[in-house]
Amino acid sequence: MNRDELLRALRAFEVQGVEYVLIGATAMGFHGLIRATEDVDLMIRATPENVVRLRRAFQAAYPDDPNIEEIRAEDLLGDYPAVRYYPLNGEIFFDILTRLGDAASYETIEAKIYEVEGVRIRLITPRALYRIKKASARPLDRRDAAALRERFQLGDD
Amino acid sequence: MRPLCESDSNWETTELPVEKYRSIEEMNSAPIRAGAGNAFERFVRHCARYRKIARRRYPTGVFKFRSLEEAQAAREVESARAVSDQGRE
Repeated sequence: MNRDELLRALRAFEVQGVEYVLIGATAMGFHGLIRATEDVDLMIRATPENVVRLRRAFQAAYPDDPNIEEIRAEDLLGDYPAVRYYPLNGEIFFDILTRLGDAASYETIEAKIYEVEGVRIRLITPRALYRIKKASARPLDRRDAAALRERFQLGDD
Repeated sequence: MRPLCESDSNWETTELPVEKYRSIEEMNSAPIRAGAGNAFERFVRHCARYRKIARRRYPTGVFKFRSLEEAQAAREVESARAVSDQGRE
């Protein structure tokens, strides 16, 4: 995770008004449960306008990357609710989600606004992250869920 | 990191015992605890250290998946390939 690159991207999201929630291992890192990751998982509001804002933000953070044009609303709002973007000149990459099965979407994920280095970040709460991790079949996610549960003394309600 | 509203992260740092792992991948899958005040800085420093010793190369571009599970499976294939490529370098 390249610190400056991450903050540059998050700042671009804020400037462009992207409606997103930061989830996944990066969100865990923000909450103090740290494991190395190179990907930034974003749950975005599933509207064509928001996908346009997201593209603009990426174009600001990664100028001259023609691949950004391939991030399309018809995919994210249609059959491909998960789009991965590896920037041309970047050390991190982005998993952009519009829904997680029937379980979660931008509208249903509990989140709070945090500020890092003057950048406002919409971050999933530990409880909401725990619920998502717990529902996953991946051993890695189950370990994350256990760590979240222990750290934040979360119950199964 | 400064929460702008009610904090979820008001816990104390605790001392941890020594932990042993069979590989760097296994080590990385175990989350480390950090104090709330410096969580972001510790997180990015940890990632930078990991990247230094386990640099990966991924294909650039945009890839579409029908589910998160499909995306994760593709990621695991890419990671395995990257580790293999790294071993040959």
